[in-house]
Amino acid sequence: MPVLGGVDLELERGEFVAVAGPSGSGKSTLLNLLGLLEPSDGGEIWLGSERVSHLGRRAQARARGASIGYVFQSFLLLSGLTALENVLLAARYVGRDRAEARRDALALLERMEVAHRKDHYPTQLSGGEQQRVAYCRAVLNRPPLVLADEPTGNLDDLHAQAILGELRALAAGGHTAVLLVTHRAEGQAGTDRVLYLSGGRLTSHPPAPVA
Amino acid sequence: MKLGDFLPRGYAFTVIGITVGMAGLVSLGAMAERITRFIDGGDRFVLGQISVAGEGMGMGTGFTAGGLLPAAKITEIAAVPGVSGVQAQVMLPFNTSTSSFLTLTQELIMGMDLSVPIPNRHYRELPVSSGRPLRSGDRRVTVLGADFAASRHLAAGGTVTLAGQEFSIVGILDKTFTAPDRFALVPIEDARELWLRRDPLLVQAFGAGSLRRGDLNTGAAVGWRDGEDPDALARRIQATVKGLNVTIPGELSKLLRQSTAFFSALLLGMGALGLLIGGLSLANTVTAAVFERIRDFGIKRALGATDLDLLGEVLGEGLRVSLWGGVSGVVLALAIGTAIDARLLRDGQQLFLFSPRLLTFALVFSVALGTLAAGYATLRIARLSPAEAIRRGT
Repeated sequence: MPVLGGVDLELERGEFVAVAGPSGSGKSTLLNLLGLLEPSDGGEIWLGSERVSHLGRRAQARARGASIGYVFQSFLLLSGLTALENVLLAARYVGRDRAEARRDALALLERMEVAHRKDHYPTQLSGGEQQRVAYCRAVLNRPPLVLADEPTGNLDDLHAQAILGELRALAAGGHTAVLLVTHRAEGQAGTDRVLYLSGGRLTSHPPAPVA
Repeated sequence: MKLGDFLPRGYAFTVIGITVGMAGLVSLGAMAERITRFIDGGDRFVLGQISVAGEGMGMGTGFTAGGLLPAAKITEIAAVPGVSGVQAQVMLPFNTSTSSFLTLTQELIMGMDLSVPIPNRHYRELPVSSGRPLRSGDRRVTVLGADFAASRHLAAGGTVTLAGQEFSIVGILDKTFTAPDRFALVPIEDARELWLRRDPLLVQAFGAGSLRRGDLNTGAAVGWRDGEDPDALARRIQATVKGLNVTIPGELSKLLRQSTAFFSALLLGMGALGLLIGGLSLANTVTAAVFERIRDFGIKRALGATDLDLLGEVLGEGLRVSLWGGVSGVVLALAIGTAIDARLLRDGQQLFLFSPRLLTFALVFSVALGTLAAGYATLRIARLSPAEAIRRGT
């Protein structure tokens, strides 16, 4: 059964766009497709001037590493790696200079106020700290696209606002487009656009309430 | 770099699992090696010489069962064409109780005529690990087999009582893992004296004047000239010299192999069982460990890892984990085997033989199978999309 159909979405660098919709509407599927985490049955996905949806597995993997950052609801940090190692994982597969990547990672952790926890393992970190580490990992390579799937879903309000603030600032930097999937109304505040996913279609208007 | 850095984090239980499997495999293998070496050693010995004894069913003649072998017979044997040398021997059981008679664990006092070279082609000499070998002209001295000495905490320079007589220990034999490990080698004249002291019937016969000292032999080892067929020569001796029990080396080897067929089958079973249990345990443990990390692989692929990147990482980890498990398993098996053997050595026994070839095989087997299992699991996981891998692993 097709989950999505008639989705036509274009993101510009510097844009901060939210996708809203009820549970099961296909928000996460949309993000997985755009992030090349799931193969699509049809359609096209372009990243800059490259049609990435039709690339081979190896080229898609390289595109994911170099051009797309992910922030997931459940953080998805590797339990066997420290906070710093988790961040550096993003640099491992794109051939970055290790010393330079380490410098950038430490600077990011410093800015996100978790540098003092860099040698701790995820199980030793709070939810807010884990999400900040995950955010550092997502932006380490300065990707042109960051996809955030309910990034505040497991956070208290204070930490949720902090992460949303970072994503907003990231887009405002002008280098990166941020696509945020959220069901929280406050998450949509401050975005440039809010899109609604319903019945597999993406629209700029909220769906009409069911009578 | 610390030693712990070499072990990927989170693999402790995997390593423990492999350790147990490999310890089982190595222990079974070491027992099989021990029995194999014993049987092969015996086979090598009987194929290296023709053993002869006098006709009859004399007691106390070790594995050259038969009657007395008088000096005249030895002279006749030496004259048979193709014979290169004959060494008279006296074999006496160390313990005369019938319960240890002619068993695999029997300890023997072996008197050797040191005036002639050892004719056995596979044991031209019996090397010593300490002290010196027996020499022509020695009296009241002995060289002890490794197990014989170890079970009694004896060393070169000490003394031992053989059949009520005190002997100086001048050497300890290298371990052979076969019969000589339980021998006490003495000059043949000393052995003849011990025999006379033990056997009242023999004293009567000796006293009647029908026997001379040189006639007191329980058997002889016969060597053959280069190019001679030992089986044919054995039959020639049997036909030429009357009143002998002659063992045909080929037939005795066959007989030995037949009598140890049960052990050979046991070995095969133990080896197969060890490989199966150890192999399954290792492959299952490594595969399960990789499948447990399916979510990690999904995340890594989301971060740009290609199939080849993952395969390289997993093979590297599989290699390290298998090596850790393999080495730990070997160490565990060595510890258990050594502890058990230390206990058994009191009775002059050794159950395990951790040969270099066994340990090398165990490590190579562990690493190869572990890496193979890790590679197989990774290829299975690589078929999944990153999102699917993350979903399944969460």
